Amino acid sequence: MAERFDPWPEGIQPNVPIAGYPNTFSHTPSAPLIQRPATRTEWAAPARLSQKLLCGDDNLAVIAPGRMAQGQLIHISGRVLDEDGRGVPHAVVELWQANAGGRYRHPIDTRDAPLDPDFIGNGRVLTDAAGRYGFFTIRPGAYPVPVPETWWRPPHVHFSVLGPASLSRLVTQMYFPGDPLNDLDRILQSVPDAAARARLVAAMVPPVEVGLGWLAYRFDIGLRGRASTPELP
Amino acid sequence: MLPSSEHTIGPFFPQTFFREGDNDLRRITQAATPSTRGETITIHGVVLKADGVACVNMVLEAWQADAAGRFNHEADPEAYLADPNFLGWGRAWTDAQGRYAFTTLLPGGYVEGNQRRAPHINLSIMGAGLMRIGRTTLFFPQGDNTADPVFALVPEALQGRLVAQPDGPGRYRFDIILHGGAETPFFQD
Repeated sequence: MAERFDPWPEGIQPNVPIAGYPNTFSHTPSAPLIQRPATRTEWAAPARLSQKLLCGDDNLAVIAPGRMAQGQLIHISGRVLDEDGRGVPHAVVELWQANAGGRYRHPIDTRDAPLDPDFIGNGRVLTDAAGRYGFFTIRPGAYPVPVPETWWRPPHVHFSVLGPASLSRLVTQMYFPGDPLNDLDRILQSVPDAAARARLVAAMVPPVEVGLGWLAYRFDIGLRGRASTPELP
Repeated sequence: MLPSSEHTIGPFFPQTFFREGDNDLRRITQAATPSTRGETITIHGVVLKADGVACVNMVLEAWQADAAGRFNHEADPEAYLADPNFLGWGRAWTDAQGRYAFTTLLPGGYVEGNQRRAPHINLSIMGAGLMRIGRTTLFFPQGDNTADPVFALVPEALQGRLVAQPDGPGRYRFDIILHGGAETPFFQD
């Protein structure tokens, strides 16, 4: 498994604070981050975390037999990979999102958009031995950000990944290809490097490969970390 | 693959993800009996943003060694001696007043290379407006932290902000100030 952690490459981490996103001004530390050497605390991570955070809830689209969420049924799958492209097995992958109308089932989302009684909107799975994960869900709706110069969050899916090291802990978001709101999203556009932004946009799987049931998207997630020495052939 | 960019966890991290006991680092499962191999302590405090305003719905994750300073992880050469009934990880979120709390065992220090890590807890904080995970470290008032290689990196005038304050038997208070005033020092790994 991963044993070396290089610094973040340039252009991947978002530029903060973000104009038009007031909370980034009030919540982002003003002092520069202190570069911390990795010790055992940073290398290590909890063993068998999936005993604590129960996994296996991979279907957001069907809340109970015969009760399907409103919206476009989709499947999102991919691999969690380290910087050497190796699959990360047994990582906890958490996903949450708005419903098809762009509203979260959360007490602090009080926007005037419909709640779907058949959609809760979160799931959690464990990656398999090859680092693969997958979820059935519906395509989330866009929603406006309540600031004077209105912008809208494009349809997006939140991901939280707990991998083999504290250093590889990741919280990110996935976007849908071709959505015109992507280029206007102040959060996505805060990532300076175009290739890094592109990695946050899922790829549509050709429908001919998927069939009649649903649209499918592939979304690979990169975690920090690589082998300290090259692997023997 | 290059690492994916960090993004904010946003204001809507599902409350249904939290279960009772998630903020108890002593339990390896929700139903497990808490480890008693050490001194049980409570860590609590508030999370504040600019102008001292409380932050609601912030997600905190705590991570630490067991009471003897060991991790049940391959990074620890003494992992086989680690407390098998201690998880060392927990998750909490802040209430309407910005308060959070963890229950855990007082961590042990450990030797790494030629340096000694003082007892500490790594805290990660996530929430709306935080585009990257905020990473800080809590130290304890008893004992000497000055030789700790992470503590020593912090300007001396700010070191006290990383030291939890005694707050009754087995209780420590650690407030996290994200921005302005007595801002908490944050790290980049």
